[in-house]
Amino acid sequence: MNFSSKLPPKPEAALLIVGHGSTENPDSSAPYFDHAAEIRKRGLFAEVHCCFWKEEPSMREALYMIDAEEVYIVPDFISEGYFTRDVIPRELELTGPTTQVHGKILHYCDPVGIHPSMTSLILQRTEEVAPEVPPEESTLFIVGHGTGLNKNSTKAIRDQVELIQTLPANRFASVQDTYMEEAPLISEWDQLAETPNVIVVPFFIADGLHSYQDIPVMLGFEKEEGKAASQKEVFRRNPYRLRDKTLYYSAAIGTEPLMADVILDQIATFDAQHVAHPETH
Amino acid sequence: MPNMSLTQKLTEALAGGLQQIGQIKILTDHDLAPFVLVHLDDEDADFSSLNAHPNPDKAREIGLYTPDGDYRFTKGEMSLPGGWLLLLQSPGEVRQALDLFYPASLGLWAAWKDGSVRIQNLRDKLARQTGMYRHAANVSDVGAQELIQSVCGPSNKCVKKILWQLDENTPLDDSEASRFNGVVNNIAENSAIPLVCQEACNHFVAQARKKSKEEFEAKA
Repeated sequence: MNFSSKLPPKPEAALLIVGHGSTENPDSSAPYFDHAAEIRKRGLFAEVHCCFWKEEPSMREALYMIDAEEVYIVPDFISEGYFTRDVIPRELELTGPTTQVHGKILHYCDPVGIHPSMTSLILQRTEEVAPEVPPEESTLFIVGHGTGLNKNSTKAIRDQVELIQTLPANRFASVQDTYMEEAPLISEWDQLAETPNVIVVPFFIADGLHSYQDIPVMLGFEKEEGKAASQKEVFRRNPYRLRDKTLYYSAAIGTEPLMADVILDQIATFDAQHVAHPETH
Repeated sequence: MPNMSLTQKLTEALAGGLQQIGQIKILTDHDLAPFVLVHLDDEDADFSSLNAHPNPDKAREIGLYTPDGDYRFTKGEMSLPGGWLLLLQSPGEVRQALDLFYPASLGLWAAWKDGSVRIQNLRDKLARQTGMYRHAANVSDVGAQELIQSVCGPSNKCVKKILWQLDENTPLDDSEASRFNGVVNNIAENSAIPLVCQEACNHFVAQARKKSKEEFEAKA
């Protein structure tokens, strides 16, 4: 699968990747640094930095790290919601798609999770986790948290399901959105799937308790008292044979190295929508 | 020096005798590499006994846990483990490593030095919180002053110099935390980049929320 982003180099601009971070789980911010390192390696930007809500550098500190006048800010979040609409604009003093503040020009892109190229990423992940499993005999479940508080978090997943379903190349017998805390519940996967094979992709940026423990418990191959975070073997014991089906379980979608391309695609989309002919002025 | 990049400012500072930030010594006259970063406690150790790394990105992994294995989510904690060397080739690599060891500290130091740092006092910081953290704004002045002495400062492992006050008219109560200059081991300030705190961190805000809840429950 050809997946490389076509974003032209921006040697005068900086990229600032914004993540949630955690005061409890050190694995939480690892994907953001991985994405930053990958993009830095490609030499597309003068600088590539990360900042966080729960870790350092904070969003309030981040601009001090940056020399470039022009900064693309990409929320490495899975959906639109409280953080992308309230917290990040408040912390970085953003007032629109492009804001001039403190001597800098800040471009605020959409969160990575809602970009259409996430679809290819999900399909790539299914090929990695369940190679040679016939899609015609498989159900793909994309799992989110699900909560009454933020309908957008479920919308991002429903959109991906719809995009995959309408792809001419889609051969899955069924593609379904499921959630940890609202219907359709991932814990009922065996009843939701009519096929002998099931592939489960958690729609989160980072691996943490949800993907290490909570979802495996709901799927039925880990016990409640299982080992705590950073026990990545849960992703390496595929396939699981339980409830008369064969189950393939993926790590969180955000840990996919190709997420770097989705970040770049989100910047290309921003330019197309908000910056007129950036390569010609 | 408004038009200099941070890397240029760092280069100039290193040439001018800079040798320390937080718990890290920066050596510019060692045979092993043009720039050697080492933990202050290992400065006199046999360097061949330390784990040497050539990649500045290693700094994140080194600073992730305390020597006791606890997660260091605040990087100003005086709990950086030793036993390592970073062998770096350029000031740009030093900057990259420092931004992982002490995120944004180099930029904050440069902004503080040239007077462009934007300081936000605690009351303004708490007032702009939303969601579950908006209740942090209810903490009393007495409670906030107590928190500073129980959350900030070297005794509580944070080695940043606090630049903010409670509000425009209310300085911090005198304490080790309020007096600390952001430099470990009290070496000459022009030899070190002080770690500065331009506004209360989100860890402090979370503690203020707890304190506010305790105060509310105590009144009930």
